Amino acid sequence: MLQRILQSVAVDRRIVPLLKRKKMYLKVLYSLLLVLIFYGIPSTGQKKKETLLSEKVGQLMDWTGKRSVIRMNGEKFRRFVKAPPRNYSVIIMFTALQPQRQCGVCKQADEEYQILANSWRYSNAFTNRVFFATVDFDEGSDVFQMLNMNSAPTFIHFPAKGKPKKSDTYELQVRGFAAEQLARWVGDRTDVQIRVIRPPNYAGPLMLGFLLAVIGGLAYLRRNNLEFLYNRNVWAFSALCFCLIMTSGQMWNHIRGPPYAHKNPNTGQVSYIHGSSQAQFVAETHIVLLFNCAVTLGMVLLHEAATSDMDIGKRKIMCIGGICLVMLFFSWLLSIFRAKYHGYPYSFLMS
Amino acid sequence: MAEHHGSVSDSKHKASAANVGASFSGNGRTSPVANVSSGAERALSTGLAQPAGWQSLLSFTILFLAWLAGFSARLFAVIRFESIIHEFDPWFNYRSTHHLTINGFYEFLNWFDDRAWYPLGRIVGGTVYPGLMVTAGLIHYVLNLLHVTVHIRDVCVFLAPVFSGLTSISTFLLTRELWNQGAGLLAACFIAIVPGYISRSVAGSFDNEGIAIFALQFTYYLWVKSVKTGSVFWAIGCCLSYFYMVSAWGGYVFIINLIPLHVFVLLLMQRYSRRVYIAYSTFYIVGLVLSMQIPFVGFQPIRTSEHMAAAGVFALLQAYAFLQYLKDRLTKQEFQTLFFLGVSLAAGAVFLTVIYLTYTGDIFRLLYTCYIPIHIPIIASVSEHQPTTWVSFFFDLHILVCTFPAGLWFCIKNINDERVFVALYAISAVYFAGVMVRLMLTLTPVVCMLSAVAFSSVFQHYLGDDMKREIPAVEDNSDDDDKRNSGNLYDKAGKVRKHVSEQDKAEEGLGPNIKSIVTMLMLMLLMMFAVHCTWVTSNAYSSPSVVLASYNNDGSRNILDDFREAYYWLRQNTDEHARVMSWWDYGYQIAGMANRTTLVDNNTWNNSHIALVGKAMSSNESAAYEIMRSLDVDYVLIIFGGVIGYSGDDINKFLWMVRIAEGEHPKDIRESDYFTPQGEFRVDKAGSPILLNCLMYKMSYYRFGEMQLDFRTPPGFDRTRNAEIGNKDIKLKHLEEAFTSEHWLVRIYKVKKEENRAPLDHSPRSTITNKQKYTSKKVWFALRCDHPLWVV
Repeated sequence: MLQRILQSVAVDRRIVPLLKRKKMYLKVLYSLLLVLIFYGIPSTGQKKKETLLSEKVGQLMDWTGKRSVIRMNGEKFRRFVKAPPRNYSVIIMFTALQPQRQCGVCKQADEEYQILANSWRYSNAFTNRVFFATVDFDEGSDVFQMLNMNSAPTFIHFPAKGKPKKSDTYELQVRGFAAEQLARWVGDRTDVQIRVIRPPNYAGPLMLGFLLAVIGGLAYLRRNNLEFLYNRNVWAFSALCFCLIMTSGQMWNHIRGPPYAHKNPNTGQVSYIHGSSQAQFVAETHIVLLFNCAVTLGMVLLHEAATSDMDIGKRKIMCIGGICLVMLFFSWLLSIFRAKYHGYPYSFLMS
Repeated sequence: MAEHHGSVSDSKHKASAANVGASFSGNGRTSPVANVSSGAERALSTGLAQPAGWQSLLSFTILFLAWLAGFSARLFAVIRFESIIHEFDPWFNYRSTHHLTINGFYEFLNWFDDRAWYPLGRIVGGTVYPGLMVTAGLIHYVLNLLHVTVHIRDVCVFLAPVFSGLTSISTFLLTRELWNQGAGLLAACFIAIVPGYISRSVAGSFDNEGIAIFALQFTYYLWVKSVKTGSVFWAIGCCLSYFYMVSAWGGYVFIINLIPLHVFVLLLMQRYSRRVYIAYSTFYIVGLVLSMQIPFVGFQPIRTSEHMAAAGVFALLQAYAFLQYLKDRLTKQEFQTLFFLGVSLAAGAVFLTVIYLTYTGDIFRLLYTCYIPIHIPIIASVSEHQPTTWVSFFFDLHILVCTFPAGLWFCIKNINDERVFVALYAISAVYFAGVMVRLMLTLTPVVCMLSAVAFSSVFQHYLGDDMKREIPAVEDNSDDDDKRNSGNLYDKAGKVRKHVSEQDKAEEGLGPNIKSIVTMLMLMLLMMFAVHCTWVTSNAYSSPSVVLASYNNDGSRNILDDFREAYYWLRQNTDEHARVMSWWDYGYQIAGMANRTTLVDNNTWNNSHIALVGKAMSSNESAAYEIMRSLDVDYVLIIFGGVIGYSGDDINKFLWMVRIAEGEHPKDIRESDYFTPQGEFRVDKAGSPILLNCLMYKMSYYRFGEMQLDFRTPPGFDRTRNAEIGNKDIKLKHLEEAFTSEHWLVRIYKVKKEENRAPLDHSPRSTITNKQKYTSKKVWFALRCDHPLWVV
């Protein structure tokens, strides 16, 4: 509708210079007639489209009011996204959320997408220019066929005018599916700037509070016997755990999120150690943690063997066990390191 | 060369091991005596001064050897190449030290550098930690006063190795306070050669960290000493050392958070004492005032959040001390009401603060500080700011990383005030090292100390027993030693020792065979550590990166001196005030070696300026020309490694330029444009056309398509990325090649001046009529506006 009016205004503007230059009344009449024709002939179709459009927008707004991401099936998709009278953009996530599809990425992407849609839905700038929708493979597989798509999740922007171009498909591989990235892409495509507001994560503080409550409760229950707070073994053990966790690179895992291990798709062989020294698998860090732990244990055993007041046989066993732990696991660690750090010349016991 | 070093460190290790045995046996033996120590024994031990003399001679020798080994292990780069400043930041430090020695201290403090960050400039005096420059300048001054005429460059090159010796001495002192002398000596040997510290202190790496680790360890030593003695003297010493640390490195924040944490934990553990009160009150007040004297730090200690913990603990300590005082004066009833009142008030205040912080969202910022760097491209682009893999832990610390938890275990099992400190030090440092690779540096000293504790606890029992009968003299002397070190704080440890002493008879049961096997194997581990350290130092940490070396098949060496060649060319062949645009990595080197004005440098304080340079590099030539004209660029310098296969070149860094540019100019630059549709970054024919026509690509590969490196590869084959380049026919319109170094590593382009007034088409002139006058004026005006320099 709006476009129509704009078009006619444009026609009018074109007419004005004509008026000035030619000064021919006949022409004016003619052009007036033309205007009338423009207004007159399509008016019935126009009205129909207008009502259809407002109906569609109303329907979409209604849905958005209920859920910020509209779920679509094939029929809805054809009606609201494919069918022509539109003055709104639709961002659609094509996904496969059913559990039997086993799409882990889809779930993460869905969460981010929900955050984005909610940020838009509850922002002050919310208008009916952009809608967020999703099509699940199990509800609208015909849509997938229609668009010739075979991977999920995929984000596609359907602009208000024309067909989606190449850049209307979000480059998931390159940009990731963080809500902020999606928002930038939406901003690029539709000029609607969305400020992503993540709902504050209450899980962390809640867990912390719960933990504190449990500890406090325990302390209260055992208030007659708070000796365990003075137990050095507990403290030493937790400090050791923390150190071992950090030195085995768990922080790297936490930040980078590497896979647990790598399975070679051709041979089916599972490798637990990453070949390069710049990266690591989760399994590998667990192994290293264990090895470090064993060496530490060996050192402590050596010390205990010399100082404890057990009988001599046990102490000898402790001593030998300790030195074996230290030597064995250290040289094993060294060999793993050697496998990763190419060109390292030294090894011990095993290569 | 390498053999020489190996032998030095080996011999040192043997010596240290021997000594450890000696001192430990002493400790183990004498502890029962120490336990019941009294004036009588003290008198007895002073009588036997002779062995004490031997022991200190041995200690001195070992420390001297550690210093020597640490110093010589750091000289690989000097001997292989020459006495030259390394890498990037050291060049700035060198340049400012040079400025300091020539113009004097006050001139240095007021220095406004108009050769950096053109056209903004940089106030150097107020934006550096001056400790490093002042130290080097002072040494240079003193040497010249003594008529030892050395160039300031040599002072700068050898400063870090010399300070590594001081670091090992202060580590020795600190470990001696924490455990005993034997562990101290072992720790000194460890820190002298451990790669985690060598990485920042090889000769030529003239950087803040080189002297800061010494200041850090020494401050901690003085802090532990002042907590142990409770004397203002040591506390003031600690403040002065802290002042030096603040003047040297931004890592002083670690100290100002760790020491309050220590005090806080001591309070929690009900280990409050007058000594702690005196030490911390003195340290906080004097340290605060002193730290604010550094221009760069200024009022930060009372403003920013990272200093607030210290202030909070200070207030808490005062409140606690006040309560203790009241406790003595008031009746129990009065005290209780007062206490509850005080506690509820404090709790209310804390609650309100937390509410306020949560409301403003600051608390999340406080909690997640460690995650912020990952999301900012300019910080994420620096490889030092990455989290740490286990491989780098092992690479930098080797055996120490596996054994230091054992030392931590022993420390916590036999806890006392200063061992609380070392435990906190270890836990916090290991966390930071896990988050960021470069903070491995702060972890290294504590790992050395704790590993030394672990090793010495083992050696104590496995070397000791045999010595007992052989060297009875050592036994007596170290009792003196023990008392001297421990004071009255060793009571807790003493209990355990007593335990040990009761075992003495049974201990012999372990048998000499097992003991000697254990000792041998342990020594072998230490030897492997020494060998590893030498290898790592020689192979990984001794490259100046200004001069590169490549090895032929027959083992002979080629020196690639392209960087200095190019910088020298700039210095000799360009106008003195020429402005050189390059990526920020090379800013300090251009300023230091070529002495030319740069747009951006390694002091990345202005992100938008860097983004502008990034935008110029990643735009097409004409758009880049506009930017370069507006920034008055005369030359553009890029690093190109395609000929020799140098992987640290600008094309490999290019995506960061794009990212940083995109952050500031999202409309003009989009990272995705530089990838192929499959999301790959390729320089060959399949690469994205925007990449193939951007300025960086054009400058890197200009005329590279004509060059055939060898017969197996087609012309224009990039060895770094193993690809034949996609755009071989590169024409430059606004730039011309000015200089390319021998191995094409550095390429310099001259930005052409605007051409003379563009030849006007005939048509506008011919159609100048009365009617068209208005339009033609407009055209002329537009030209004038676009090119203001043209008219002037």
